[in-house]
Amino acid sequence: MATAKARTTSAEVQGLSGQLPEAVLSRVSDKLGIPPGRLSRMVEVLEQVVQEKGDADSIVEKYKADKSALIQILLEIQRERRWLPKDVLLSVCEKLGVPLSRAYRIATFYKAFSLVPQGRHLVTVCMGTACHIRGSPRLLDKVVKVVNVNPGETSADQKFTLETVNCLGCCALGPVIVVDGEYHSNPSSNELEGLVAACD
Amino acid sequence: MAKLRSPADLEKKREQIVSKRDPSKPCITICSGTGCHALGSDKLHEAIVTEISKNGLRRKVDVRRTGCHGFCERGPVVVIFPDETCYLGMKPADASEVISKTFVEKQLVERLLYKDGSGASVALEGEIPFYKHQTRTVFGNNRLIDPKSIDDYLAVGGYSALAKALLQMSPEQVLEQVKRANLRGRGGGGFPAGVKWETTRNAPGDTKYVIVNADEGDPGAFMDRSLLEGNPHVVLEGLIIGAYAIGSHEGFVYVRQEYPLAVSNLTAALGQARDYGLLGKNILGSGFDFDVTIHRGAGAFVSGESSALMTAIEGMVGEPRPKYVRTAVSGIWERPSNLNNVETWANVPLIINRGADWFTGVGTAGSKGTKIFALVGKVNNTGLVEVPMGMSLRDIIYKIGGGIRSGRRFKAVQTGGPSGGCLPESLLDLHVDFDELTGAGSMMGSGGMIVMDEDTCMVDIARYFTNFLADESCGKCIPCRAGIEQMLEVLERICAGKGEKGDIDLLEEISDVVRDASLCALGQTAPNPVMSTIRYFRDEYVAHIEQKRCPAGVCKALVSYFIDPVKCSACGICLRNCPADAISGGKNLVHIIDQQKCIKCNTCFEICPTRFSAVLRISGEPVPAAPPLGTEVARKKGKQE
Repeated sequence: MATAKARTTSAEVQGLSGQLPEAVLSRVSDKLGIPPGRLSRMVEVLEQVVQEKGDADSIVEKYKADKSALIQILLEIQRERRWLPKDVLLSVCEKLGVPLSRAYRIATFYKAFSLVPQGRHLVTVCMGTACHIRGSPRLLDKVVKVVNVNPGETSADQKFTLETVNCLGCCALGPVIVVDGEYHSNPSSNELEGLVAACD
Repeated sequence: MAKLRSPADLEKKREQIVSKRDPSKPCITICSGTGCHALGSDKLHEAIVTEISKNGLRRKVDVRRTGCHGFCERGPVVVIFPDETCYLGMKPADASEVISKTFVEKQLVERLLYKDGSGASVALEGEIPFYKHQTRTVFGNNRLIDPKSIDDYLAVGGYSALAKALLQMSPEQVLEQVKRANLRGRGGGGFPAGVKWETTRNAPGDTKYVIVNADEGDPGAFMDRSLLEGNPHVVLEGLIIGAYAIGSHEGFVYVRQEYPLAVSNLTAALGQARDYGLLGKNILGSGFDFDVTIHRGAGAFVSGESSALMTAIEGMVGEPRPKYVRTAVSGIWERPSNLNNVETWANVPLIINRGADWFTGVGTAGSKGTKIFALVGKVNNTGLVEVPMGMSLRDIIYKIGGGIRSGRRFKAVQTGGPSGGCLPESLLDLHVDFDELTGAGSMMGSGGMIVMDEDTCMVDIARYFTNFLADESCGKCIPCRAGIEQMLEVLERICAGKGEKGDIDLLEEISDVVRDASLCALGQTAPNPVMSTIRYFRDEYVAHIEQKRCPAGVCKALVSYFIDPVKCSACGICLRNCPADAISGGKNLVHIIDQQKCIKCNTCFEICPTRFSAVLRISGEPVPAAPPLGTEVARKKGKQE
């Protein structure tokens, strides 16, 4: 209940002033009986939710709320958020006037989408044919060992997501690994450790 | 920028661009395709620009970042015009030497040149064997233009075919040229583009669509990506001409999101074309209107199939539908929709400019023109190659590809992606075209050509492709969904050493059903990798099933590793590198692999110095008994060296 109250209050106050002054925060904290530290954390989370909803809304608007752009809209959200949260999917579907089941079907059919949060760093190992015959299965084994995550999974600390992909189209360099968009051709175990260590 | 309102405007603009350029002025081109990008062409570009400034050459030397040159293996590729000196594998640290030697001392940097088999240097790009035997008509401009600059494309004659088609030819005449050229679809099927265009043109309805299929999902093929990244305008020009012939005013480009550079270069190209009036209303004053939307694919192999791709453009899940009525008649939103592959569209401006007779002068009886192949795998020179239809596999692999890596023996070449097949050594003299490849049990596909050597297990390759297809099957029809899964189960069993007598017959039987009963081309061609490997490499299947032996030593369950006690020199390299700590040994003691702990990662086999070659890979026979722990090595460390 306190959260619901706080949501209205902070949104209302923000609507008036654009940002929350210290004095207002402490008064709200007094009135609702929430410790100031907790209240400011709640406000932060709420601001993020509002911000993210706004981002999703503006993506939908960019495509003029066109139903046929659903895949394109989801791709942009996936790129910004690195996953498709349920509340965002719900709001997109509402705006486009399509059932949630359609978005869900798309999200589970295509490889680009994820319905769970992804790690801060995306490691992709190409398992295309050219990479396969040049030893990508062995490269993948090495990567699994170094990042300590299985393919398709995210590490518990949300640092790494390891994915495999069927071809990245740079077959001449195979086997290829991509770390946060940077391509690397057949790195040795030491080089791999260097790449991983460079991720914060 | 004022819009170009007539062909005369276009020519004037072209003259303006060309007159500002001095062909004798040195220009350093740096390949910026994805391959070279991965090998650091960004940093190299920075270093070159810095060196040029340092030497006070900014007004004297141009620098241009071009599209893919094709020789990705040896990237980043740098070509210095007007001499066309080609430096391969150039690093940022080389920039200072290259700039000062080229422009101050007027000398070549020997060590960055291509070295032929005898060790002699080849300075000119066109003289390098990889390029010398190619015919680069579609792909050739990639090396001359900056994909982000429409002016570069205009400078090499770009959009002249569009002006010719729109103002000097009727739609029927354009269609007639493409039909006479017998341009066959480069995306895989090889269906004549002109016939498809005509079907869409004649289909009832006023609203028609034209589409570029850039959902290049075949693993091992990347020519569409390189064209779209390196020369987006040529694809766009072809598309507008096609739209004019068909009577379409709206086009789509369906491109994989795995190709971010292609998306961004194409987006830039569309913007420039609109600014110049080459897209939009009344193009070049012809009265013809046309515009294009980009649709990014979200990662599904089956979405490259025509009906699936069109469903995806409608914003639904990209699954195929039965095509009793072709998409050329009823496609996007049930309107006539003509879909062609990137490379097909890129051929169109050439045909319009040079005529159908020129086009049919190259190639074989049934397949005209050139084809771009992605020559990859175990060849020395990997990259994109464009050759006339009808060149033999041997010429492509040995003359252009430079033969097999590390002096290994050729085993097979896989063409046509996951739907294609593997061709053996006995078919090396096959003349590559649509019909010859199909006749041999493979197919052209989009032009992937993956070379395999004796270290490749053909059963494993069949398992690999079947696994890929099982994964990518959309599941809509049962023969494909269940059939491929069953085939995969049998293949996995064989690779795991649990193959049974009769498995080959079983695979053939399921293959027949999947081929005949599947809904779309994915299922209909899915058995190809299995059928072609059984046809040409049956002995490998037999070895796996009957002798539990993997001749190439690839299938983990069928190989063991053993250290030869006579050869082991106790150098400790394998022991230190074993990820499973399965190797024991010590100073001067024979190293021993614990078969229980061994995960068969192949590391020890690869890492054992060739002067010892003590690690043996054994398949199909029992592992010899290891000597007792603590046995001293025969050759003590230091004795030999």
